[in-house]
Amino acid sequence: MNNGKLLWRQFLMEWTLYSRDRGAMFWTFLFPVLMLLGFGVIFRGGDAPKMPVAWVQPAVMQVKDQAMLDALAQFPSKLEAMTPAEAEAKWQKGETAVQLEPTPDGFHMKVNSYLIAQGQMTAQVVQQAFLMAQAKLGGQPLPKLIPVSVESPGHAHETNYAAFLLPGLLGLNLMSMGLFAVGMVIVSYREKGKFRRLAVTPLPKWVFLLGQIMHRLTVVLLQSAVLILVGALAFHIHNQGSYFLLSLVMALGTACFMALGFALTSFAETSETYGAISNLVFFPLMFLSGVYFTLDAAPKWLQTAVVVLPLSPFLKALRAVFNDGSGLQGQMLGLGIVAAWTLIFFGIAVKRFRWA
Amino acid sequence: MSELALEIKGLRKAFPKVVAVDGLDLEVRKGEVFGLLGPNGAGKTTTLEMVEGLQQPDTGEIRVMGLDWKKHAQEIRTRIGVQLQATSLFNKIKPREALDLIGGYYPKRRGTEELLDLVQLQEKADAYHITLSGGQMQRLALALALVNDPELVFLDEPTTGLDPQARRSLWDVVRRMKAEGRTVVLTTHYMDEAETLCDRLAIIDHGRVIATGTPASLIADLGLPSVVELSFDGEAPDPTPFAARLGFAVEAREDRWEIPAADPKSLLPRLLEAAEATGTIYQQVHIRRATLEDVFLHRTGRSLRD
Repeated sequence: MNNGKLLWRQFLMEWTLYSRDRGAMFWTFLFPVLMLLGFGVIFRGGDAPKMPVAWVQPAVMQVKDQAMLDALAQFPSKLEAMTPAEAEAKWQKGETAVQLEPTPDGFHMKVNSYLIAQGQMTAQVVQQAFLMAQAKLGGQPLPKLIPVSVESPGHAHETNYAAFLLPGLLGLNLMSMGLFAVGMVIVSYREKGKFRRLAVTPLPKWVFLLGQIMHRLTVVLLQSAVLILVGALAFHIHNQGSYFLLSLVMALGTACFMALGFALTSFAETSETYGAISNLVFFPLMFLSGVYFTLDAAPKWLQTAVVVLPLSPFLKALRAVFNDGSGLQGQMLGLGIVAAWTLIFFGIAVKRFRWA
Repeated sequence: MSELALEIKGLRKAFPKVVAVDGLDLEVRKGEVFGLLGPNGAGKTTTLEMVEGLQQPDTGEIRVMGLDWKKHAQEIRTRIGVQLQATSLFNKIKPREALDLIGGYYPKRRGTEELLDLVQLQEKADAYHITLSGGQMQRLALALALVNDPELVFLDEPTTGLDPQARRSLWDVVRRMKAEGRTVVLTTHYMDEAETLCDRLAIIDHGRVIATGTPASLIADLGLPSVVELSFDGEAPDPTPFAARLGFAVEAREDRWEIPAADPKSLLPRLLEAAEATGTIYQQVHIRRATLEDVFLHRTGRSLRD
């Protein structure tokens, strides 16, 4: 047989084997379509998404303020007017990306350090609007920019932006550990029949599962300790809050996402299916958490629904401790949600876990 | 307390493409070594897995030492010992650790050292599981099956893939289990193993029991204690003309003809005459005792190896 024929046969065989792998087919063809449909439905608004800006209403509206509002209306921005108290409450919840506040002789703009990508884009738009407003007023010979400060919801300032990234990294790391690493190991062990030997013994399932979770929990805490240590030594990033509270939040988050991983393993026969299922859970959890961009463009029902998801309150608590050095007083409701999910996931995991 | 170690009635299990167990009935008495003999795919392993609680039967009743899985699962698990067909342990666990770990799950347990001695695994006691040979893994699996000092032991194809010497030493361990008063239920597709090891047997085919009894009684029930074999160089020819001349049933198998006979001595002269008359060129004539293989063949028309 000549090499051309050989190549053709090899190519066809690769397609044949590939088409029999249902997991691969799902990932390549169905999953992207599902994601597109999902986000398309959620974020369809007809126009391009408008950038939300929190507008702190001044006590007395000056000419420059009105000019600014008129200029902003020319840009794809969505102004949400609120009193200083309302603005502060929203800011502290971490739901504001950019806050614009008139000052006696100009404006001040705050960008949320956790939503920096979305915030900086919005900030540029606001700056352009400001230039336009100045041109229109004609009073300024040399156009100026609005002074900008980057702050966390707890008003922590940090010249080192990596400091704001670290807690998010820790949180995301342990969520992916729980969902991917642990779950995948469990499913592949089950696939290979490694639990059958345990299944014929009187070992209670919950002991096995809790033992697994405890082991992974300590692994994650150690791993996080290494990350924090390297962050401190290499980049001078320091935990602003108590290490005890930080460990507490981390442990709760780890338990929650491990239990979720275990619960999901009971819905997958093979590691391919598990890959599909865990990603199907992971991506929406991540995108809908409001952690990377605000959900102002999403429908109201969705904004209400995602409040109960566990990732966002967990990361908020983590960041509040690490970056703002605050206690957990403001985070109790959020942590309660995480704890409730942990119990639900663990219950499902124990109830549905199969050895073989 | 029931006198039966195991009682199965009307057991059935269907998978999407095949009915693995199809109305199986079985009784195993306490203290006996009981064999499930049948070809691959007969339903032996599926049956055993349902008895061990690894799989749910579709219908049917299983009583293990008089206990029901639905009500007494934990008690059954503490009293049985199980060797799975393929015991896949964690790659980097050591035999000593595995025995300690799994032994710890039971209220009553045998010492790790004693078990390592019993299955002659002392020299590999601290090697990673993945580095053990097939025979060593099998012996470890046997030790694990005995770790809780069980009353009833299930061995699924315990000697498959072992060399003759390893098989013999494993048979010794099984005989010792019986001497210690344990009930042993094992599956095998080796008729010699079934004959030498088992007090009683059930022959299984297509998910049903087709015969039960002691090895001797099963062979005696054939009514034909001997088999005369004519072997050929290459494939056996069509035996029809020869059988007509001889007046006996002749079965062609690969490179030989088999003629079950009640009295082979009186058959021999007629056999030679028939071969002469039909011009049959055979290589050897061989008379042997009937075996369980013949029982299976007679009952199913197929060989155990098929």
